Amino acid sequence: MIGQIGQFFSEAFAVLYGNRIRSLLTILGLIIGVAAVIAIQILGHGMSGAVGGILGSLNDKSFFLFPNARQSDVTKSFIKIRDIEAVKLAVPNILSAVPAGSVQRRISVGHAHARLALSADSDVTFAAVPLIYGRNISKDDVATSAHVAVINDNAYHRLFPAGGDPTGTSIRVAERRFVVIGVQGKPTQGIIPVSFGGDVLIPYTTYEHEYLRSRPLFAARFVVADATRMADTESAVLDYFRKSKGGRVDYQTFDRKSFATSVDGIFGVLTLIVALIGAISLLVAGIGIMNIMLVSVTERTREIGVRKAIGATNFQVLAQFFVEALLLSLIGCGIGLAIGLTAGWAVNRFALVAISGIVAPIPWLQSVAIAVGFATLVTLLFGTYPAFRASRLDPIEALRYE
Amino acid sequence: MSDSAGVIVCRDVTKTYKNGSLEVQALRGVSFTIAAGEYVAIMGPSGSGKSTMMNLLGCLDRPTSGTYLLDGIDVGTLDDNALAAIRLRKLGFVFQGFNLLARTSALKNVALPLFYAGVPGPKRLAEAERRLTEVGLGDRAEHKPNELSGGQQQRVAIARALVNDPAVLLADEPTGNLDSQTSEEIMTLFARVNAGGRTIIMVTHDLEVARNAKRIIRMKDGVIVADEATLAVY
Ligand SMILES: Nc1ncnc2c1ncn2[C@@H]1O[C@H](COP(=O)(O)OP(=O)(O)O)[C@@H](O)[C@H]1O
Ligand SMILES: [Mg+2]
Repeated sequence: MIGQIGQFFSEAFAVLYGNRIRSLLTILGLIIGVAAVIAIQILGHGMSGAVGGILGSLNDKSFFLFPNARQSDVTKSFIKIRDIEAVKLAVPNILSAVPAGSVQRRISVGHAHARLALSADSDVTFAAVPLIYGRNISKDDVATSAHVAVINDNAYHRLFPAGGDPTGTSIRVAERRFVVIGVQGKPTQGIIPVSFGGDVLIPYTTYEHEYLRSRPLFAARFVVADATRMADTESAVLDYFRKSKGGRVDYQTFDRKSFATSVDGIFGVLTLIVALIGAISLLVAGIGIMNIMLVSVTERTREIGVRKAIGATNFQVLAQFFVEALLLSLIGCGIGLAIGLTAGWAVNRFALVAISGIVAPIPWLQSVAIAVGFATLVTLLFGTYPAFRASRLDPIEALRYE
Repeated sequence: MSDSAGVIVCRDVTKTYKNGSLEVQALRGVSFTIAAGEYVAIMGPSGSGKSTMMNLLGCLDRPTSGTYLLDGIDVGTLDDNALAAIRLRKLGFVFQGFNLLARTSALKNVALPLFYAGVPGPKRLAEAERRLTEVGLGDRAEHKPNELSGGQQQRVAIARALVNDPAVLLADEPTGNLDSQTSEEIMTLFARVNAGGRTIIMVTHDLEVARNAKRIIRMKDGVIVADEATLAVY
């Protein structure tokens, strides 16, 4: 029986190879459909990896607060620095709350200078990147509005091209001087500098005093003590602001999780589109295969008659044509798999990895499962009927067929 | 040799074709017995029911009424699978138009019934090669049908018909497409097959060909009009 299956396959291959142009044209739709589905699926994996990479700089203990854009007058919801000082006291689980956003300034050290982003930080740092030199901002620095700065990798390389430990060195920001107390290492993930902080971090009290003065903030960022109570803390903060502003204004929060969720939503839509493409290409390819198989059965009516006269059972004739359809779809899905994997891998390797720094693993198993699933489904749905028709031919009429 | 004898008994066999409201009575009550190892020619004008008779004897069809016993088995009561099994094991077919599979080598054509019988691959090809050699085509095993002459194709077809060791060889105008010399070669082969103990039933228009048989059944309008030993007539 096993030998028979092998023989069915090798005979089917000979038939398909004998008609190779026609076979190839028949499975073209299947090749394209499977390749597209698999490439997009790999892309999806790569993109979630890429998003993870970009979000690497946003640690999972922080969230942002900013005005909801869908309101008549956004300016009413601007946040004052005293609001965030107050909320810090009113809501538990908040370790720090500082103004978000940054200011661009020309900064110089000796002959080296660069335009860099300055932003606020506190003793509970927002940054996820470990220091390579010095220390973080201290409670004291905050309390005394000290003119100290922690610089990131970008600022370090532009201001100190010679390298070395720069802590203790003064940097000039316009007419002010700040002492470098710490240097952040290279961000571990991603080359897109989506650091939600600036290049130069200074105590938020100093930031407020020097750059904010009494102007309202657009957004604030928070660090919580317990990440598992993040959602509760966020809604408590929102509640506080709603009440303190008389219930008229509207804010929203944003954290790593909510970003990931909205990204997941996009992937959900993408997946749906892929499924739709898959279903359509399945249908089109399947109809193509069914058509060619019906033509083949008609062309080979006499052959079927001969086989039956020789002693082939209905089932053996059915198996012959079923295996032909199966092989056709397996080859189509196999080629589609190869193309899809190559395309998906290339986009991942040359585009997404460059953006995110994350090498997302290729979902081999899933891809092969998709291809095999496609082949099986197409064969079952569209190969069965022609094979059934062949098996039910009357041998005498089939033998008489011209 | 085969495990079955190849005894054929027909009693009042009729066959009516129905095409919509149109009915054609191709056989109107045919009875005869063919003993194991007989060599019978069926003759008669076109449309007299010879092919219909052969299809019934070949288990490709069932009689409308009457009984056909092959080695004691009532063929009329069998289902498709049982009929296929009988065609595979007990019967060999030779057609006027050879009916070899195109694009398939002589060897593989001959091996086909062994495949359906479930014989494993290597044994299948060895057996097919032996049969091809028997019909004098051992050196043409890899040739495709379109690379062979008509006579050679018919010999491949005969090798294929015999490969499962059937008790009965059925041939519907086996020389109809061949010239007289090639026909003679095929008849020589048939004589050898019959000498080996197999029953042969052959339809032919050609008296020269029919003479090779030991018995001639003549049909007309779906009935047998004469059934005689060949030697008695000629
Ligand atoms: N499938 C069929 N449907 C209808 N009529 C048929 C069919 N096969 C044969 N016949 C008719 O049955 C009669 C006998 O045909 P056939 O057995 O082929 O004769 P022969 O082989 O002796 O020439 C003819 O009248 C023929 O037209
Ligand atoms: Mg005829």
